[in-house]
Amino acid sequence: MNHLPDAGSRLGVRRVWRIDMALVTRAEGRMYLTPLVGFLLLFLGFPAIVNLIYSVSTVTFETLRSPVLSGFANYVAVLNDREFWSSAWFSLRFGILTASAECLIGLFLAIFLAPLLSKRPVLMAPLMLPLMVAPAMVGLMYRLVLHEFAGPVPYYLFEWFGDSPAFLDINNAFRTLVVVETLQWTPFAFLLFYMAYSAIPLDVREASSLDGASPFEIVRWIDLPLMKPTLVIAFFIRFIDGFRVFDNVYALTGSGAGGSTTSLSIYIYQAFFKEGAIGKAVAASVVLFLASFIVLHGLNRLAGRRKR
Amino acid sequence: MKLSRTSFALMATLLAGTALPTFANATVTVLGWPGGSEETALRATVETYNKQASDADKVELLFFNREGFYDKLQADMAAGSSAFDVNLVATYSLGRYAPYMEPVDLGAGAAKVFGESVLKTMQFDGKQYGVPTDLSLHFMYYRKDLIDALIGDDAAKKTYGEIAQKYLGKPLQPKDPDSWTWDDWAATALYFTKQVNPDSPVRYGTVLQMKNLLFNMMVFQSLPRSYGGDWMDKDGNVMVDSDAYRTGLELYKKLYDAGSSPKDSLSYEYAETNAAFASGQAATALQWNAAAADLTSTEKSPAVAEMTGIVAPPTGPDGRADHIHGLGLGLNKNAKNKEGAVKFLKWLATEDAALLYARSGGSPALSPDVVAKVAKERPDLVKLGEFASKYGYVMIGATSASALPVYELQAKEFTGYWSGQQSLEDALAHTKAGMQDLLQK
Repeated sequence: MNHLPDAGSRLGVRRVWRIDMALVTRAEGRMYLTPLVGFLLLFLGFPAIVNLIYSVSTVTFETLRSPVLSGFANYVAVLNDREFWSSAWFSLRFGILTASAECLIGLFLAIFLAPLLSKRPVLMAPLMLPLMVAPAMVGLMYRLVLHEFAGPVPYYLFEWFGDSPAFLDINNAFRTLVVVETLQWTPFAFLLFYMAYSAIPLDVREASSLDGASPFEIVRWIDLPLMKPTLVIAFFIRFIDGFRVFDNVYALTGSGAGGSTTSLSIYIYQAFFKEGAIGKAVAASVVLFLASFIVLHGLNRLAGRRKR
Repeated sequence: MKLSRTSFALMATLLAGTALPTFANATVTVLGWPGGSEETALRATVETYNKQASDADKVELLFFNREGFYDKLQADMAAGSSAFDVNLVATYSLGRYAPYMEPVDLGAGAAKVFGESVLKTMQFDGKQYGVPTDLSLHFMYYRKDLIDALIGDDAAKKTYGEIAQKYLGKPLQPKDPDSWTWDDWAATALYFTKQVNPDSPVRYGTVLQMKNLLFNMMVFQSLPRSYGGDWMDKDGNVMVDSDAYRTGLELYKKLYDAGSSPKDSLSYEYAETNAAFASGQAATALQWNAAAADLTSTEKSPAVAEMTGIVAPPTGPDGRADHIHGLGLGLNKNAKNKEGAVKFLKWLATEDAALLYARSGGSPALSPDVVAKVAKERPDLVKLGEFASKYGYVMIGATSASALPVYELQAKEFTGYWSGQQSLEDALAHTKAGMQDLLQK
């Protein structure tokens, strides 16, 4: 347990910082920061303030520039709306299921294909292709692929089995959407996991192998613990993306029969545009922001405590 | 070092290129209706216009998705967008967009080309807000070969009668499609359903557009309308929970549950319906008139083109009814090039432009003298004018600023019933409450 190099390097950093501070005065430092602060205030702060005002106002497209303050009625309307909670439940289920599937398949592919990819790195390119396609395009593509009379999938199912399931009916739409999302975004998880897996020093694996560890034990006790931070990060990035899903779901099923595939983002979009209930839509987005902030802050604290 | 400098310069050029605004040649930007025969026709028409227009008046077309089109348009126009000079308007959304548009004088010739009643589909508060490019209503498309075979076969007639008795509780006999009641249509659809009648030569008896989408409600509502249904009565009371709507909603569900329409019908709209009928696996389809050009084209629909018959929607106790609305192009109040835009709109209202638009696959409603000039190439346009004048209707309240949200509400509630997520009573109660809120506030 030698702490000396760490302490030394920390000391070194502090010294350089002090020298920098001598070269850059506090006023100059503030001046350098001004564009960034200005940018943040303009592009994040202003819309945030406008949103907060709209969320406590009665406002329509015609009165965008003159909203009338009306208290917290919009928040009450959102929290009492059955559709808000059903869309939140849809998003939560969708986010957890797709993130889990993408991470599990991505992890398997990363470990399974690592020997091949280390010899033929060019194979990474075709594996990454789904990431290049816009999610809305993916939705449209599957609308065609799964169409009973125009799509190849039902065509071959009819040829081989004499029947094809209704991929987008009320019973299967959710499953189809999960599969479509997973097929598109598994390469993202795979990429992260492959990089993390490749970064593990070979001598660690060789040492454990010499100690008699089986390949499965090496994965279980060496690879996975070392890849854990990447696994966690990948899961949360994919969960966040799945939770806020909009494009491909909207292109494929819209909000679904009776609103059955309404995600939270679609709920907000519909409240804003279809109902013209701008205050309600913005209130829903503020509630979503607060819930996300609490969850992410909690996770951040949890991660910080573990580090210590 | 040299290479890295070259690479750096290339990278900088690329970045600068992406950051700089692009310079378009066209100076009149037209936002059109995307994805159907309207887009094809407008593209062809604009190509001809651009050949004769000066550089300053050339037209560039802009299209985005049909999904949420009116929402995006509303957001753009409310924000005072000048990204387009000419924009799409529809009869049912004219009141919503008129505040962001400018009236346009199309000249006396326009009335001769379209007729006064068609020009009125683009008028609001007595002012002309656009050129009527397409009239939309619905045709009942059917397979002539299948119906002829059914009518001429005694054994088939017997099976038909049994199916009608079993599913509809009525002893019906096959009829010529032009004299169908909705029950006749339903019995025919059931007869041609493999799941109901294993001897059916096609998989499905019909194609129902049941996606949770406002336009599908326009297709559906001619059924309750022919039973006397309306959005409101003359005193302004919402009457969507009428027997007429009940009958219509139940008939759609009965057909869907019996397998008469493709299993994925709950995700079907215009394009899916066309693909299903064109595949030759459906006997009938209630579909927009815009599909006629494709479904009767041997190039686009080789399996059915020569066997596709077209009649008006079936009749009910209150006669035949056909939903009608106009699409058109009007002038954005914040247009950058108003002069060029007005020139284009005036040209579009001339006889030559209207005929070119018709020949390119569009569906303009033309006066009898003008339509006679394209009757050979576009016999459907003659039917269009005939059906519109005989059966065309607009629901009470369907031109108000709340018309689109009402259609959205109906789409959500009715598809909830058809998919079995809620009862008919609940669907109608929710729709009524929502419509009262939207139409009577």
